[in-house]
Amino acid sequence: MTASTRPDTSADTLAGALVDSSADLWAELAFASLSIARRFAAAATMWSVSPQWPSHGRHVAVEFVHPVIVGKRALPAVSVESTDLVGSLRLLARPGDVVLAIGTADDSRVARLMERADAWGVTGVWIGAGPRPPIGAADHIIWFDELDALLSARAGELVLLYHLLWELTHVVFEHPGLLAGDAPATDDVCVTCSDEGRVAEVADVLDAGRAEVLAAGHLETIDVSLIEPVTAGDLVLVHAGVAITSCAEAPRAGAPERKPDE
Amino acid sequence: MNEPTAFLYPFIDADEHDAGRLLVDLANSARTKAAESAALRTATLARCDDMLRSVADAMAHRFRGGGRLFTFGNGGSATDADGSAELFRDPPSGRPLPALSLAEDPAVLTALANDVGFELVFSRQIIAHARAGDIALGFSTSGDSVDVVRAFEESARRELLTIGLCGNQGGAMAAGGDVEHCIVVESASVHRVQETQDAIAFTLWTLVQSALKEHE
Repeated sequence: MTASTRPDTSADTLAGALVDSSADLWAELAFASLSIARRFAAAATMWSVSPQWPSHGRHVAVEFVHPVIVGKRALPAVSVESTDLVGSLRLLARPGDVVLAIGTADDSRVARLMERADAWGVTGVWIGAGPRPPIGAADHIIWFDELDALLSARAGELVLLYHLLWELTHVVFEHPGLLAGDAPATDDVCVTCSDEGRVAEVADVLDAGRAEVLAAGHLETIDVSLIEPVTAGDLVLVHAGVAITSCAEAPRAGAPERKPDE
Repeated sequence: MNEPTAFLYPFIDADEHDAGRLLVDLANSARTKAAESAALRTATLARCDDMLRSVADAMAHRFRGGGRLFTFGNGGSATDADGSAELFRDPPSGRPLPALSLAEDPAVLTALANDVGFELVFSRQIIAHARAGDIALGFSTSGDSVDVVRAFEESARRELLTIGLCGNQGGAMAAGGDVEHCIVVESASVHRVQETQDAIAFTLWTLVQSALKEHE
């Protein structure tokens, strides 16, 4: 056997990636930890999922529920494994909770959860490696851009990221004055008037151009006449009680981007 | 804070409201810990290089003979056992190999824990499944997990190839005679040990794939 059989995502590659990483990764990790600690301080539950690597979802949950360091507080975290993650988490997650996903940028099961975070009123955290999800795809994107995703998932790199998230979250708890945090911010803007718009998920289509939607985790009735037809599960941008546009869903795997012209 | 030592901890204070300073400290701490993690992995893989190659050859020999891999551990190490079994059975490339995690089925684990005691949750499964020619791969960051140690006792009795991944000083796994190949990660940090254990399991998988390819 020769030295060339060394795995190509060993610690050497990680060391290289650490050097290459801009300060952004660590700044984002710090910011996410502050946000998560604030959510926990306000009685949040963390829901962890990893459709590609379910064992990572379970590892995150056990990490927070049963700390390895004696004296650190146990925090409510639950791993969810389901063929219908959107349906399960829509039921389980409450406004103010955290949904943490581990997966590649092209995992549409994760993307469909993250794009609903604002509508459900939860904080979305997406951890992974390789090509990164688009800007704004989640509230917090914690990413090793330079590493191979499939190998990082198995060689300790992704574990490192959520271990650090846990460690930093507990450091924030030592700063009680900083735990009274703001609510998750939404920065979607109405293109017409530059005023704030909110992402909402259609829960039920009513008559007369109205629909019941989930926005920031609460049900409300809005006018959808501008963008009909809508169906339950659609994401829409709402301004002043009126749905002003449909939010494009992340393209599903294998689905054509547009229908061929007739 | 009015204690006389309060000046030592200017930020442990309910009146602290500016998160900027803390965010800088957190980012620096994350960068430092990540560098420590990378250094521990590099050092451990270099120190254990010969051992990992001979362990991988022994594993490949058993796989060629129809042997199967059984993995086990508790808590975070249970998920590492699950992940390692998945890696061997459903690899991103190379040849799929028969591997099962004994930590994955709560029905089996709770039945055994409730009826015969938690220290036997893995060893009873070894009794049920394992044959001479199989491989036992156990994870314990302390090296002292009683259920893992008992599983190795049973595995050695049944002539399995026994491989233990443990941290710190190696604990009972390193001290007892039932783990033929005990790979110790020399760190007292459970997290840093787990990260390196994942790298070791991954390296073993890579080396096993190479060894099997050489014999094709």
